[in-house]
Amino acid sequence: MTHRPEYLPERLALISDLKAAEYISSGLLEGSEDVPSIALNKSADTLPGDEARLRLDRVRDLIDDTMTRFHDERPTTADAWLAPRLHETLRLTRQEAADKEFWTYMALGVAPDYVVWRHLSEPKADGSPGRVARDRFVGPQYKQTFARLWWAAELFRDGPDYRPVVVACGNQDMLNSALRLDVIDHRPTALALVRMMERGTVRTGREVNAMTPAINAAAATLMYDVIAPDVGRDGEPLRDWIAAAESALPSPRSNLPEGPEEQRAPIESVERLVGHFAELFADAQVRGRTSGEGD
Amino acid sequence: MRAYPYHRLTGPVTARIGGVRLRGPGDAREQLDAKACSVVERVVALGMAERTEWQSARLALKATVPASEIEKKGHWSDVAVVAVLTEGATNARTVARLMPGPEGGKDWTGEIELNRHDHLDRASLAVHVVATVGGVEGRIIASTDPDQEWMIDVTAEEPLRNRELDVNTVSFTRGGERLRSFQGAPWILDTAGRMPTVRLNSDFEGLVALVESQGSTVKGILREMLLAQMSSEVWTAVFHTAIGDLEIEDDGTPLFPPDWRGAVLREMLPDVVPGQSEENALREVHSRRTGEGSWTDLQARIQYAAARRAEVAQTLAGAVRDIERIDQGTHA
Repeated sequence: MTHRPEYLPERLALISDLKAAEYISSGLLEGSEDVPSIALNKSADTLPGDEARLRLDRVRDLIDDTMTRFHDERPTTADAWLAPRLHETLRLTRQEAADKEFWTYMALGVAPDYVVWRHLSEPKADGSPGRVARDRFVGPQYKQTFARLWWAAELFRDGPDYRPVVVACGNQDMLNSALRLDVIDHRPTALALVRMMERGTVRTGREVNAMTPAINAAAATLMYDVIAPDVGRDGEPLRDWIAAAESALPSPRSNLPEGPEEQRAPIESVERLVGHFAELFADAQVRGRTSGEGD
Repeated sequence: MRAYPYHRLTGPVTARIGGVRLRGPGDAREQLDAKACSVVERVVALGMAERTEWQSARLALKATVPASEIEKKGHWSDVAVVAVLTEGATNARTVARLMPGPEGGKDWTGEIELNRHDHLDRASLAVHVVATVGGVEGRIIASTDPDQEWMIDVTAEEPLRNRELDVNTVSFTRGGERLRSFQGAPWILDTAGRMPTVRLNSDFEGLVALVESQGSTVKGILREMLLAQMSSEVWTAVFHTAIGDLEIEDDGTPLFPPDWRGAVLREMLPDVVPGQSEENALREVHSRRTGEGSWTDLQARIQYAAARRAEVAQTLAGAVRDIERIDQGTHA
């Protein structure tokens, strides 16, 4: 299996797709090769400044702990544990997190071993080895190993509260399908989806996959922002939280960490959407059955 | 045309940004220069701010809605007008409700706040009219035409919708292994980064001076032609980059990328596959590229679309005219 990089610099960095392409060998994608870490770091651009949040060891320690903790379990179960802690350790703004080069470096320079451990598929029946999809290293937000966890944490957290993130990341179908939809950019919508999972209104991956497209389609004619308004986003708590990273302890491993002290989404708005989505979901199920796709 | 199961407005909804106030640390405030806000281009260039450390921008908005239609037809109640500011790359979505003006609900005004840390590049601003229709609350009954949306560019220093070509000069022999392999080429295109860039080879004698030259001498004419040519190549290359790197839904539907790649496709597709909706055009091009139907036939259309964007024809016509003039001058 691909190993932890031999050389780990002090600070996180950026690397472009073009430069990264040289290091994504088929051996790496099959989990049989390492990334030549010294050469890779020569091609990467170290992030400027000396902020503690951009120190490499903090996030590498977290990855090591994740792999130890979930050593004997299915790697998918690690997502719900790692997502909030990754988010809290890095303390990025969305502007920073939108930079693909940051996540590509995370995958190649910080933890290629994690990417392989988490995403290597089973060997095929014909004996050909398992593979990691290339987009787990350089893909879009909802595919890339670390970007998808960070964005899930960002979009599903309720202000400082990461509990909804744990629920959302605990279901692979939710994580995979919801993250691609624009509707969850509206916070009460994202939180209503989580509520429905907590209450068992939707349980299986199949149900999640029936519900999310229905909600997305309805958003073409309905303005959820008006039906269920959110509070405005104030930039101050996030700036304070980022500044506080200088003196922050490592992300707690047993308890959930806390995010920026932003205002939470109004409960009435979330509940309103839960009711609304439950109706949509019931309709979608009925339609699924009558068209012969049901159980 | 999409069919809706409820009554919608037929009249247009338009929006206009009247002014921008910036806020920075320690409650520092600045009124953004009116020149940073182009009504013609519908672009706001926040890179023109005097204070570079601004944290948020408050945009003053005015929307005009077909008020007489709302009143006359009477299908709608609880009418609200909302502005929505979004950017795909950061999943940012900010919503503000506008308030009706004194003149019978035709003009609505309000403010929307853009948080700098929530944006990377360009946010777009749309206005929607929302109402209760047939007992259903929150229906979108009209929106600004997608072509009429405003664009808020967080870094641009000029309010322009189309971006200028990013050109930088580098020595190909000394510029690393990859560039070395292009030794002797006057320029190459780099489409891997956030924005496509033209890299000019400083080893190519006279090229940099030519590109940076000004005036309408022969040199100037050559320069214009060269830039139009480069620009056309850039459009072709970015089109191929964008189309070659599409995300595909499980049911096979290709998706528009959220960044400049998506913008390029939306802009060029009407010329590549005329008379189709954006979505259908994208599907058509994607299926041709992946082997169903002819990809080769499409090349001429792509080249045509690129040349149009780069204004090759206008530049060439201008060059022919200028050369004639110079000829006449020397023969006179």
